[in-house]
Amino acid sequence: MTVLILLILIAALVGFVILTYNRLIAQIEAVRNNAKQIDIQLDRRFKVFESLINVVKKYMDYEQTTLKDVVALRSQAQQAHASGDEAGRIAAENKISGIASGLNIVFEQYPDLKANENCLQLQEEIVSTENKLAFAKQSYNDSIEIYNANKKSFPANVIVSSFKASLDIDFPYWQLSDEKIAEHESYTVKL
Amino acid sequence: MTDQLNEYSAGSVNWRNTLKQNNHRTFIVIALFFAIYFALGLLVDTFLYAGHYPDTDLSTIFIGIITLKLFPIATLVMLAVAGISLFVTYTFSDQLMLLGTEYHEVNHQTAKTPAEKQLLNVVEEMKIAAGLQYMPKLYIINADYMNAFASGYSEKSAMMAITRGLMEKLDRDELQAVMAHELSHIRHMDIKLTLTASLLANLTLMVLDVFFYSAMYSSRGSEGGNSRSRNNLAIVIMLLRFLLPLINVVLLLYLSRTRELMADAGAVSLTRSNEPLARALIKISGDYTQHNAQYTTDNEHTPHENVRREAYIFDPRQAGIKPLTSSSDFFSTHPSLEKRLQALGYKRKH
Repeated sequence: MTVLILLILIAALVGFVILTYNRLIAQIEAVRNNAKQIDIQLDRRFKVFESLINVVKKYMDYEQTTLKDVVALRSQAQQAHASGDEAGRIAAENKISGIASGLNIVFEQYPDLKANENCLQLQEEIVSTENKLAFAKQSYNDSIEIYNANKKSFPANVIVSSFKASLDIDFPYWQLSDEKIAEHESYTVKL
Repeated sequence: MTDQLNEYSAGSVNWRNTLKQNNHRTFIVIALFFAIYFALGLLVDTFLYAGHYPDTDLSTIFIGIITLKLFPIATLVMLAVAGISLFVTYTFSDQLMLLGTEYHEVNHQTAKTPAEKQLLNVVEEMKIAAGLQYMPKLYIINADYMNAFASGYSEKSAMMAITRGLMEKLDRDELQAVMAHELSHIRHMDIKLTLTASLLANLTLMVLDVFFYSAMYSSRGSEGGNSRSRNNLAIVIMLLRFLLPLINVVLLLYLSRTRELMADAGAVSLTRSNEPLARALIKISGDYTQHNAQYTTDNEHTPHENVRREAYIFDPRQAGIKPLTSSSDFFSTHPSLEKRLQALGYKRKH
């Protein structure tokens, strides 16, 4: 009978050690994955902002040259009108119409390129991208919190000390350097 | 009268503590449900064996069953029934949740309006904050009232739905808080939990009913030779038939409210801010009060609203919106707005 009880106790102990070991391993991998998530979001931010900037540039270039063209044609048309050159005036007006329809084609290519709405969406993309990066960092720190709390608590710490190589890993929390914190602390918006 | 956030004094919330506390409560409730179910099984077994051995004491029979000298057939059959019905509900009730509503799915291919794109962004951000492996499916219900719910039995099959009214009337931060609340439901596996509990509750009542009628029948059928102990049991069964439904309702409501508070705390843990959720809750509740008449007709014209009631972020019944066939459960599945705000660190100024 005592042997049986002893065996059950040993089995329970071994079971507990295995469960704790596996839980800690899962938590370590979660921390690692979350650390890579920060990289993923940094990469995403770079790519999203690059392509956003390109779209905006293209749009602004086009708008600037077309605006110049339209202004020039407008004055041409007015001069022609003043000097009684109706054919010249019609030609200039027709060219403006041509530019306008060209603009429409651009709008069709980029259905989102509609002044204000476009700007709002740009804003939304930027906010969301920055949020995703911040939340990735938060999630990374959260997983470190869970792992550290587990690792340092009793009786898990006994198991950790006997499997130091695989279970005892020191993950640094994501944080800013002291200078950066001081710098950002004193930051105010200057308008 | 609708509330404003400035009627409350702002404070902070220890969400870690709230989560832990409510987790304990859940554990107790679920354990109670299983205990009740199991005890009922043993009771049925005792009753059956009391018929076989009319001269034996009830306690002797009971001890015989729990020491497995008598085979607890009813208990095992009941456990098997519970297992099978849980499996069936897990497999099929995902589709149930959207029943009767007009909805469409939103993903990167179908998101057209800026509002939909923003919603998608917000959910993705929360998914990253929660460290979920899968993006839950996202649906928009075409309705004016403001509500949202989550469903699904695993991260993989998870889904969230939000009404158009909610999407349009909340600002970005508030939307984020609401979606964080829903994602917390998924993260905490609340759908599985509440479904398991309510299924067990229903099963206990069904078993009890069958048991009750067969007990009545058998006690009338066999005269004299029937044991006195069996009659004693019949009294216990009668009593249970009155008490158990009540106990079930109280436990289920307690569980549901506990999980709501947990999801609120979970939302704070994801967004690291309690103010947007408080604002959103006040806004939703105020909106329900303001458009009460319209939403009541909407509610009546939407079939199967009851399926979603427990899962919603805000219980419409708290705004006095009831279905025509108002059932006995006039208790709310959600804690009151005041309680929820208090748990979020917002106390009403006096």
